[in-house]
Amino acid sequence: MELVRLEHKKIWRRSSVKISVLLCFIYIVVFGTALSFQWFSFGSSDDHTSSFGNNFDGYSMIKESQKYSYRFGGALTDESLQQIVRNYQEKKAAGLDREADQTDWQTINSYLGMLYPELKEEELYQTMISYVNPEELTDFYGRREQAIEDFLEVSGQDGAEREYLLQMEARTEKPFSYEFVEGWSCLLGSMAADLGTVMALFLAIVLSSVFSGEWHENTTALLLTTKNGWGSIARAKIIAGLLFTVEFFLLLTLGMLLLQSFFLGWTGWDMPIQTIKLIAIAPLNMLQAELYEYGFAFFGAIGFAGVVLMISAAAKNNVLSLLLGLTAVYGPMMIVKYLPYNLQKALDLLPLVGSSTDIFRTNTFRIFGVYIWSPYLLITVPVLIGILCMPIAVSRWSRRIKK
Amino acid sequence: MELSLDRLTKHYGSKIAVDQVNACLTPGVYGLLGANGAGKTTLMRMLCAIMESTSGEVLLDGKEVTSMGASYRDLLGYLPQDFGYYPNYTAEEFLHYIAALKGIPKGKARKKTKELLHTVGLDTVAKKKLKTFSGGMKQRIGIAQALLNNPKILILDEPTAGLDPKERVRFRNLLSDYADNKIVILSTHIVSDIEAIADEVFLMKKGRFIMHGSVPELTSKAEGKVWELTVPQKESRKWQEQAAVANLRHEEGQVILRIISDTKPAENAIPCEAVLEDLYLYYFGMEKENV
Repeated sequence: MELVRLEHKKIWRRSSVKISVLLCFIYIVVFGTALSFQWFSFGSSDDHTSSFGNNFDGYSMIKESQKYSYRFGGALTDESLQQIVRNYQEKKAAGLDREADQTDWQTINSYLGMLYPELKEEELYQTMISYVNPEELTDFYGRREQAIEDFLEVSGQDGAEREYLLQMEARTEKPFSYEFVEGWSCLLGSMAADLGTVMALFLAIVLSSVFSGEWHENTTALLLTTKNGWGSIARAKIIAGLLFTVEFFLLLTLGMLLLQSFFLGWTGWDMPIQTIKLIAIAPLNMLQAELYEYGFAFFGAIGFAGVVLMISAAAKNNVLSLLLGLTAVYGPMMIVKYLPYNLQKALDLLPLVGSSTDIFRTNTFRIFGVYIWSPYLLITVPVLIGILCMPIAVSRWSRRIKK
Repeated sequence: MELSLDRLTKHYGSKIAVDQVNACLTPGVYGLLGANGAGKTTLMRMLCAIMESTSGEVLLDGKEVTSMGASYRDLLGYLPQDFGYYPNYTAEEFLHYIAALKGIPKGKARKKTKELLHTVGLDTVAKKKLKTFSGGMKQRIGIAQALLNNPKILILDEPTAGLDPKERVRFRNLLSDYADNKIVILSTHIVSDIEAIADEVFLMKKGRFIMHGSVPELTSKAEGKVWELTVPQKESRKWQEQAAVANLRHEEGQVILRIISDTKPAENAIPCEAVLEDLYLYYFGMEKENV
């Protein structure tokens, strides 16, 4: 344990680590969460030309929006949808732009575009919510069901796969409970979803030198002549690297959760994710989705840590190790769109390469004839890859160091 | 305790770094002298079991050291030639880290660290980061880490490199105190260090031990080959070009040369007492160093 403690201390002692953690914290927690809530995502807008032109009043806008949404009875029905649209149009007609901003107009407008396309007037530049006749917004759930079936057909998902997805969809409770959606939409669609991708950059910077740094510091001869030898050192390095990953993740997520509690609170946690994306089929509520997204980032980070540690153990050079570590995550992201669909899906299983927002999608993997919804594999396979890399890291390190 | 080198050989491709070296080391201080590229570091790495030999073996009390694994490393203290360290660790943290690598319990490690930092004169800078240390201070921390586990076999590759004369004297005294009932092997270019503390000296050239023995035994081999010659200043350069000059000093407008030569170099040359450095120069002085 003492060796692990000291290896862990060695990681934190490096200036590059402190700077990386600070930069990542500023980017994710300060810029991506605090300022996003208070300023550019939820601040009221005077001109709508740029998010950065918003007012610095996100907190009060969110609280007012939440209060506003309670007026519609807590369930999304034809009647409540009509009421919301009508209310928005009344505010706009009265020139109450700030009050109109407090509505869920973006989310509601996306519902209208998807379920009532025949009401869209192409020649009008305004958003649908501002001109549709609320009385025509009927059969919300019937139209949604049709939209899902149409989507599956267009996606070429039929037969057993279609059945599997529709069975999953059937488990979603209707009518959907409804409160202020846009806060959760921003959180699940952007803030928490991007956590892993950003963490990858800084994890690569920190962990790429855990093993290869010993060559850089010219300490390998010293390490090899100590009683504990390469095996114990390698194990201690891996545990210390994982410990750092956990701490790094906790630092970021705790910061995000605290800010979420302050700005958004937990109200609406039991809304289904279908209120964010209507044709999502997973029977998950917001809290479950949030847990999934953090779990995805956590397990992905652990998996990625395993991959980077293995690369670090195999390389004798810090720069090479860093470049390979970055390539392991950003390389597949860059080339994925040029690859066949099945290969794209396979690459998504690499740590932090896929997206946690697959919970809103209908992607599946077919393994030995069985359909599996992609998020199940996207959260488990990356961590297994990382775990597999760890003994390889120990073995590569031993071979390298003995040469 | 007996450390034996049995026909120890190391090849790097076609280059022979260590060639059929044999020795039997019992407790005492052993000095390894040789020019750059003579094979000292390779030999020391094989003695530390961190480099596999091409042929031959190193045996401790009859057991092959690479097969002894941790039990051999537990007896070992090693200061590599290019001593690596962690710049962001303090001196104290660095020694704690090495102590953990050596499997020394935490309490004992803290006590030993404090003691060694005092011994090597770094107790006042124990909390300072290694990146702020001078070359000599880093070398001293290197010596301290090698001594942490109170090793029975201490191998020091160029331990006095970067130490100032006062630090070298402190190091010699430390080693003399420490060496009792232990095998200490040190290599250095600084002949006076070996002369002062080594019980036995090995002269290494082109991967082989060309000579070994105690300092008096070895210096006796240079007896009759060391001369002092006083020449006018204008002739000094000529003598430096044509003879192995170990030293020169200016005195009253003339130059006094210390010359290593099998024969009397000039009529007025006077024989003088040989020291180990003369022997070193006798064997290595006239050839270009292999780097």
